Amino acid sequence: MNWDWQFTFEVVLPRLLPVVPVTIQATVLSFLLAVVLGLFLMLLRISRFKLIAVPAGELIELIRGTPLLVQLFFLFFLLPEVGITLPPLTTGILGIGIYNAALCAEVYRAGIQAVPAGQWEAAKALNLGAYRTWRDIIIPQSLPPIVPALGNYLIGIFKETPLLSFLAVGELMHASKLIGSEYYRFTEAVTLAGLFFLVMSLVAAVLVRMVETRVSRSILR
Amino acid sequence: MTEPRIKFENVCKRYGPLTVLDGLNMEVAAGELVTIIGPSGSGKTTVLRVLMTLETIEEGLITIDGEPFNKMRSREGGLVPASTAHLRRIRARIGMVFQNFNLFPHMTALGNCIEAPIHSLGLSKAEAVGRAEELLDMVGLSDKRDHYPSQLSGGQQQRVAIARALAMRPEILLFDEPTSALDPEMVDEVLQVIRQLATEHSYTMLLVTHQMGFAREVSGRVCFFDGGKFLEEGPPREFFASPRHERTRQFLNKVLAAH
Ligand SMILES: Nc1ncnc2c1ncn2[C@@H]1O[C@H](COP(=O)(O)OP(=O)(O)O)[C@@H](O)[C@H]1O
Ligand SMILES: [Mg+2]
Repeated sequence: MNWDWQFTFEVVLPRLLPVVPVTIQATVLSFLLAVVLGLFLMLLRISRFKLIAVPAGELIELIRGTPLLVQLFFLFFLLPEVGITLPPLTTGILGIGIYNAALCAEVYRAGIQAVPAGQWEAAKALNLGAYRTWRDIIIPQSLPPIVPALGNYLIGIFKETPLLSFLAVGELMHASKLIGSEYYRFTEAVTLAGLFFLVMSLVAAVLVRMVETRVSRSILR
Repeated sequence: MTEPRIKFENVCKRYGPLTVLDGLNMEVAAGELVTIIGPSGSGKTTVLRVLMTLETIEEGLITIDGEPFNKMRSREGGLVPASTAHLRRIRARIGMVFQNFNLFPHMTALGNCIEAPIHSLGLSKAEAVGRAEELLDMVGLSDKRDHYPSQLSGGQQQRVAIARALAMRPEILLFDEPTSALDPEMVDEVLQVIRQLATEHSYTMLLVTHQMGFAREVSGRVCFFDGGKFLEEGPPREFFASPRHERTRQFLNKVLAAH
């Protein structure tokens, strides 16, 4: 194996750096979608009405139980069939977002169910309304387990974005594959893409850890 | 004729096949302190939880000052299931102290005592703090106002819980074995607070306890709960001196022997 520095600096870097924002954009938007949609899924899941809660639970299981790549292909090839044509990046963000929303929904549910029943009862005995009970009593106590889990999903989503190369989204992996097939040299492009993911994951992990300690310090004594 | 403050009429509560309250009848006059004793698992906590509207009942009627509670009067005069607003209005008159305190762990002692007065009664923060400080002082914890529950002993936590309940200005106070989760050396500090409430204030109180000495000392009436209803009741002196039922005698012997 030989490494060509000139090729690295003159071809690979100039073509990879401009697509870094695509990967970051896909990560951030998928994560936001997952966090918000996950909340809705969880609310449906814990509904008092079985007619809502049961299908929501089944849907979450279905999404969690099939590979993300299969779901991405499903959206990519099926949405146009029903008349919805979206840019590949949007389809990808939708796919990754929905998949992780199902995971987030379960994280939220676990966090909320970890709050002892006595807390709900004390809030009720003190005549607090539903909004106040959620806002001041339940949510602050369920955050400490939820926040680190969400942080891990953020990093997970970041590492899932290379799957978008299968939808021909011009993100890092896709760009490095293109370079490879154009010049018949994969070493530099694939290595740099890998290094980029490694560095970003490490940075993100440190950030997530910092947020985590801040949250647990400000909420749990 | 004045209505009793609390009245249970033929109240039934079931968990699946298990009947916990079986046609329960009870009247408590305003300002009265009634102690409920009975074997564990018999349903004493359920009596209080039903009154606090933490549980619904299958049959019967509960009234507060003659006003139906689990049901409300419809415009036609009949009884219909109570609305949330109706329940909240009645609930505002009742405070409960739990066996396991159930303090909010992420709030200080003061925070626990001002949360509901601000957001449920609509007091200003200054007003709520002023009242909470008075109450923390009354339970002997003015120096602990900025402590979190995890920094307090069990006895101190239970006293904060009492202050928190009082901060809502209830007329009726429910105590569910308030000293059962405490180490023996902390029991007295909590009983002392309850004693003070009984003698210096006009709350109507329902107290579930296994502290027979305390029950004899403070209650106006002792009720023995067994088999889903009150088997026997009376003024403490007579009740403890000459229980009429064999079940009551057995229970008292067992409890007194254990202490
Ligand atoms: N949520 C519930 N579901 C099913 N059974 C319950 C529930 N809560 C209480 N019980 C049962 O009801 C009975 C009375 O309970 P409780 O009122 O707590 O008794 P006590 O306070 O006298 O010990 C017990 O047998 C208990 O197991
Ligand atoms: Mg009990």
